[in-house]
Amino acid sequence: MDIISQLQEQVNQIAGIAFNTFGTLQRDAPPVRLSANYPEPPAANTTPEDAANFAEQPKQMSAALVKAAKQFDALVAALPLAEGGEEAQLKRIAELQAENDAVGQELQRQLEAAEKELKQVQELFSQAADNCLNLKKPD
Amino acid sequence: MATATYPPPPPYYRLYKDYLQNSSSAPEPPPPIEGTYICFGGNYTTDDVLPSLEEQGVRQLYPKGPNVDFKKELRSLNRELQLHILELADVLVERPSQYARRVEDISLIFKNLHHLLNSLRPHQATATLIHILELQIQRRKQAVEDIKRRREEAQRLLKESLGTLDG
Repeated sequence: MDIISQLQEQVNQIAGIAFNTFGTLQRDAPPVRLSANYPEPPAANTTPEDAANFAEQPKQMSAALVKAAKQFDALVAALPLAEGGEEAQLKRIAELQAENDAVGQELQRQLEAAEKELKQVQELFSQAADNCLNLKKPD
Repeated sequence: MATATYPPPPPYYRLYKDYLQNSSSAPEPPPPIEGTYICFGGNYTTDDVLPSLEEQGVRQLYPKGPNVDFKKELRSLNRELQLHILELADVLVERPSQYARRVEDISLIFKNLHHLLNSLRPHQATATLIHILELQIQRRKQAVEDIKRRREEAQRLLKESLGTLDG
């Protein structure tokens, strides 16, 4: 895939990781005590390994987010933005077109000369073949 | 299951009755459309240009100007994005009802990012064109070399055969 499409895919991936992170954390978060006026929330029946997994999730998700962002930076660094502007590119295209025309004409000349020589050789060959045939005495 | 017949051909097929005998007796095809046209109730334009962000009603975060430094702007937008995501996480912990503004900011940054990447496409197109032209010049030069070599080879063979015939 070309570099710009890769960059676009990477941006979409960062967006996906971001909303998946927030959505998952919001969905799976255990209840929390909001203020001293309200009683403790009822003890949620999460198993200890669920709790351990849940503590790991923000770390893993934020690691994925940072990795995706670093990947984006790496792709940006790989952008081949050589030219300094559109006019430079257009100038280069004009140069290449002129060179292409010149080489094309050279090619055309060579081709015509080669075809001419081919005709000559074919002519000579048919004459030689005729002479060969005529020299054979019919018996 | 109900089946329907195919729709009839358009009635102007009669105009092409003598097309095989006389190519010019039939009407010319319609000229290409210019400007805007309506297709299935929607307006389309033939001028394919990327509309600027202001035309879409989106604030532009990177500086405007003739030459935008794409790499620098992309990188700084990336950093802004990370900061805003972190801010959203903070807001969700402390003041959850104020998420809307932060989410709007994040989507603004994404729109700017995509617009920047889209505006790189014309540059990519001209770069591809330059590459194709260079390849073509290389192929043509190669062909010229090949033809020269073959002609010289043929000349040499002819001289050789002339030599063997004379000798």
